[in-house]
Amino acid sequence: MKRASPRHPSALIASVPVFLFLVVPTAIVVPVAFNRSRYITFPPDQLSTEAISGFFGDPAWMSALLASLQASGIAVVVAVLLGGSAAVALHGRTFPGRAVVTGVIIAPMIVPAVVMALAFYQFFISVGMVGTVLPIGLAHAVISVPYAFLTVRAGLAGLNPALVRSASSLGAGAFSVMRFVYLPVIRPGLVAGALFAFSVSIDETVIALFLQSPSATTLPVKMFTDIQYNLTPKIAVSSAMLVTVATLGLLVQVCFTIRRRSIARLLPLTAAADQTG
Amino acid sequence: MTSTATPVAATPVTAAVGADPPRGRPRRPRSAWLLLLAPVLVFDAVLFLTPIGRLVTQSTHDQAYQRVLKDPLVVRSMLNTFEISALSTLATVVIGYLLAVVIWRRGPLMRVILFALVLLPFWTGVLVKNFAWAVLLQDNGLVNSALQGLGITDGPLALLHNRFAVIVGMVHYLLPYAVFPIFAALAAIDDRLELAARSLGAGEASVFRRIILPLTVPGVSAAGLLVFIISTGFFITPVVLGGPGDMMIANEIDFYARQLTDFAGASALALLLTLVVSVLVAAYQRILRAGGEYEAG
Repeated sequence: MKRASPRHPSALIASVPVFLFLVVPTAIVVPVAFNRSRYITFPPDQLSTEAISGFFGDPAWMSALLASLQASGIAVVVAVLLGGSAAVALHGRTFPGRAVVTGVIIAPMIVPAVVMALAFYQFFISVGMVGTVLPIGLAHAVISVPYAFLTVRAGLAGLNPALVRSASSLGAGAFSVMRFVYLPVIRPGLVAGALFAFSVSIDETVIALFLQSPSATTLPVKMFTDIQYNLTPKIAVSSAMLVTVATLGLLVQVCFTIRRRSIARLLPLTAAADQTG
Repeated sequence: MTSTATPVAATPVTAAVGADPPRGRPRRPRSAWLLLLAPVLVFDAVLFLTPIGRLVTQSTHDQAYQRVLKDPLVVRSMLNTFEISALSTLATVVIGYLLAVVIWRRGPLMRVILFALVLLPFWTGVLVKNFAWAVLLQDNGLVNSALQGLGITDGPLALLHNRFAVIVGMVHYLLPYAVFPIFAALAAIDDRLELAARSLGAGEASVFRRIILPLTVPGVSAAGLLVFIISTGFFITPVVLGGPGDMMIANEIDFYARQLTDFAGASALALLLTLVVSVLVAAYQRILRAGGEYEAG
């Protein structure tokens, strides 16, 4: 299985520009945040932290940051609790309608974001929930639940349901089964699910755009609105922050992969078609 | 908690739990798992199925379907969506294949490092990526300066606010989604096939053409479909990187909903998009099941 000796040097060389294509756009965002001029250039003419202090001193950007953090907080908590408990509930069980239940839980991941956005928009107007961050957080929770469900389910795949039965027959109550059998197995899945939910929510733009109001404008929505007029250094600061968050998420995922010694761990979530560009 | 004996709970698994000695309270009530499942079902019923249900109802009003399909702007945006998605998918799959092969040929450590490079854009939000592309492709951006510096062009090329920029942005966004399924297909190839082919005198090119390529066709189809599915829903990138002529179907839905406040029309368009995506998702899952490479979820 060792492939240490490169047998395709030409392919490796051809791939260098592709890797640059992948990484450069993400990498330039951070230096751009240190731009001095009012308009963005790369490489920056002069370095300064003006834009960064400007960003943190701007009430509009600060309220967008706060709105984003609140929405993702709601999304993470709801997704982990609901997705995780659903995965445990379905573990090792067969019953008529199981496929339908799983389908409903996963479906929000597959429906295009703009469709979800339109549906949420009409729904929240009809129930009079407008003008706060709550509907955005709940909407993000709906699309995040499948991620937590899938990550926890992936963790449970290695747990034999017979173990749960043995624990119960040896006298473990529902709480002990949860605490000593399920929790150790699902913990990595819960962490990964929380991470995915946070990442989905903090970057989500389309739903947040439809549900926005002057008092509930998230960071990506503010960026989307501003970017259409000018490429300002404050957008760069906001981007740099989001890239930092993304890098942290990536590092956690990489550590997770190395510890499990399996790249396959990275794969199951690529079925997410909900991602909208 | 134990009183509700639901028919769904009568499974072999719970029946075995029922064999507990009947002292005190039953240790694991057979309906406890329903209490774990109920919250997500209630949540999705209220916040997912109800909104989607309203969407379906809305779309049946005012002859919405006939109306939107007659709108030349809708037809235009559908053609745009198809063209942009097809071109982006083609480019993504070709480049993704190259990346997957390169990663597959490395040792374990390099694999993780290269995967991390692929995953960085995967974790980054679309606006950050679009912003970066706008900075790079603008008239005085890095790409134009480089082209002029190298003497390839005299003045700045118009690289931004056109279809080229949209496709560049989309390919960048979509690459990770192509690399994973193709890598999975490559990793599933039995090494001995390649060794056998080589020992029988096959060269680099014929090993690739006659062994590797045919065996990765299911992975490539899965990647292509997945990427195409995601492409059809693009909304932000056409606005930020494209021009007025590059609007896609998602932008048209937004236009109907928020500019025209024609919810019936917007809902009809949204359901048409959902229908197309559902058919593609079904096809995608068939491919995955046939290949059995990894769990689709």
